[in-house]
Amino acid sequence: MAMTKGRQREILESVYSCIALVFIFVACVELCDAATVVDVYRLIQYDISGVPFGSRLARLNHHVAYSPFVPGADLSRAVVIIPIREVNITFLRECITQKKALGGLLLLLPQKFNSESKDDSKEGGHMYKEEGMQNILAELEKLLINAAIPYPVYFAFEDEKIDAILADVKRKDAIGQSPTATTGGYKAVTANPEPKKLAPATITNIQGWLPGLRTDGDTNQLPTIAIVASYDTFGAAPALSVGSDSNGSGVVALLEIARLFSRLYSNPKTRGRYNILFGLTSGGPYNYNGTMKWLRSLDQRVRESIDYAICLNSIGSWNNELWIHVSKPPENAYIKQVFESFSSVAEELGIQVGLKHKKINISNPRVAWEHEQFSRVRVTALTLSELSAAPGLLESTGSLFDSRQFVNDTAVRRSVKLVAESLGRHIYAHPRKNIEIFADGSSLAINPSYIKSWLNLLSQTPRVAPFLSKNEPFISALKKELADHTVEVNVQQDVLDGIFTFYDSTTARLTIYQVVSVAFDLLLLLAVGSYLIMLFSGLVITTRGVDDLIGIFRRPPSRKQKIA
Amino acid sequence: MTVFHFFNCALLTFGPHAIYYSATPLSEYDTLGTCIKTAVVYLITALIKLVCLATFLKVTENDSFDPYQELLKALIGFIDVAGLYYAMTQLTHRNISQTHKFQAVGLGWAFADSVLHRLAPLWVGARGLEFTWEYILQGLEANANLVFTVSLASLGSLMWLRKNKPKALIPFIYACAGILATMPSITSYLRRILDWDFPKVVGFELLASVVMAFLSAQLFFACQRRSSI
Repeated sequence: MAMTKGRQREILESVYSCIALVFIFVACVELCDAATVVDVYRLIQYDISGVPFGSRLARLNHHVAYSPFVPGADLSRAVVIIPIREVNITFLRECITQKKALGGLLLLLPQKFNSESKDDSKEGGHMYKEEGMQNILAELEKLLINAAIPYPVYFAFEDEKIDAILADVKRKDAIGQSPTATTGGYKAVTANPEPKKLAPATITNIQGWLPGLRTDGDTNQLPTIAIVASYDTFGAAPALSVGSDSNGSGVVALLEIARLFSRLYSNPKTRGRYNILFGLTSGGPYNYNGTMKWLRSLDQRVRESIDYAICLNSIGSWNNELWIHVSKPPENAYIKQVFESFSSVAEELGIQVGLKHKKINISNPRVAWEHEQFSRVRVTALTLSELSAAPGLLESTGSLFDSRQFVNDTAVRRSVKLVAESLGRHIYAHPRKNIEIFADGSSLAINPSYIKSWLNLLSQTPRVAPFLSKNEPFISALKKELADHTVEVNVQQDVLDGIFTFYDSTTARLTIYQVVSVAFDLLLLLAVGSYLIMLFSGLVITTRGVDDLIGIFRRPPSRKQKIA
Repeated sequence: MTVFHFFNCALLTFGPHAIYYSATPLSEYDTLGTCIKTAVVYLITALIKLVCLATFLKVTENDSFDPYQELLKALIGFIDVAGLYYAMTQLTHRNISQTHKFQAVGLGWAFADSVLHRLAPLWVGARGLEFTWEYILQGLEANANLVFTVSLASLGSLMWLRKNKPKALIPFIYACAGILATMPSITSYLRRILDWDFPKVVGFELLASVVMAFLSAQLFFACQRRSSI
């Protein structure tokens, strides 16, 4: 008896566990059935010395709202979707400065800025000249980066599905239904966990060394010329911050110059009497912290042998005018010489080059140009740039509009020509004779496809330093490229100075569902319930007779009567 | 809220079966055993149909209407009828009258069909956040299917269980039974060739179910009247 009972219990247990397994399996089956799935990119979240900036949250689970808003609508439980084309900057500024509580903000960028879209009209070096959109985006970025926003802010690219949803929301708003939990509409959901602090950013500086010609009996160190460009970016949306012009153009120009000079220096007969030091530095947006660390790590003799350094910053979208920024006074002999060689070449090329002098203030931690870091260690340096004024902190370092079509291949090519020719004439001591070293059509001609392919690569690689890992493939690619053109390559890794802290969670997938209200389901329940009741009564009446139906409701009292 | 929607749609899909069982004399005569046995027969029939479809049908690339394939599908649909025949004649039922037997068999068959075809999509789809009309329409379709199956079962009982049928009505009985048996082919034809969208097809099914129920009820009572005379 006990054995059968035990066996029965075992069987029961196994049956229960089977049923439980089935339930778990069934509960886990959740197919994706969304109206739309979109890739969205979060606004950057960072602290400077503990002061919070940027969007502080990542999770979204709210209804969709679209301007013009229903007056009096409760927006604290709604995601406000604003296409950039129609954005009203003053309205946004009010929202942010008055700390209005929104559920979330989604800004829609035109497809033109999408580096992944297959738009052929971007190639060919034609410049994108919609000034209005650029200014709006610049202002918007400045506003968003410098405010602490307590709700999620995301960027996405417009496409037909989102446009259809927005049109629908607009139509519903016109009828007068506001987005709440009891009326229908659309719901936007992201599944991101709360953002966590990132480990301190790694700065990777890559340097390449082209030694000059040393004749026997030459005991002194040869003089060195340095060419430097910073390659990392910072923007409102770190996943979109590709910085094609700032400073992708500088990186590409540096690589092309390295390639040209490596050809000249490969043959001892054409090797110049100068060493050339190429530097790709990181940490640019953060007061050129990486450049400072790199310079400090250089061997003192090398540093002292640097005659002058040329820093390249944003040379990809100018028409006819470039600027040379210096921190030493223009009367300085070195500066004069370098500027004159640049000017003479520029005249031949039809470019106008101006000189701008900005004194550095050692007590001010703000470093606006890369050459200022050189000046602080007493190395003569200048920055070649299309910008005429020094950018502010975290400005012009890879904004939203700085995508592939913003940079002009021809401008980069002309900058390369300018720098290479002046450098060549300086190195080979032909300052004023009209010898064109890198002539078109020669074996030393500037290669436009090289420039184009590197610009394409850079425009598809977001390069915000805290999100670049130590073994980032892009950095290895830069290192390999520089190693191809130079004799010795060194990589220096360091940590970004501690006042900046960054948070993760830069991309997400947003799913937009079409939902119905609770009222609809209640109505449905009512309809189904009445249908079933009617069916029940109908069947009872037709098969058993009306008396039976009434009998069902009258049975309890009759029993009481019987007892009584 | 979406579990609420699932509950609503499930109520619409499976509620009528329970109501049918409890409201009619079926519950009084305790015909649950018949229903369960019929459901098992339906499962086995569905498996056999699947195997036949897999063996005999070719998978076409485009959605064209191949008459030969459709004919084959209709023929395989008749396996359904064979299953019903088996359920009604071969299984041992408790001592219940003709009228209740065909109702119980029809109910069990339709319930098994609904569970097999509609429970899984309902569970997976109606619980999500996204709203579509599909599950409500599916519930209405389940209702129509219940009526179709009970009508077919009634005509089947007339064909196989009743010995003395009035001669004049026999062709009508077979014709109605034929229409009911090929109803799946007709709906798939409407959906694929005439490109009717789902609400239209469900409306047609509901209408057809009422018409066929009326016809089969008339035939059944006519035969019953004749035999009792």
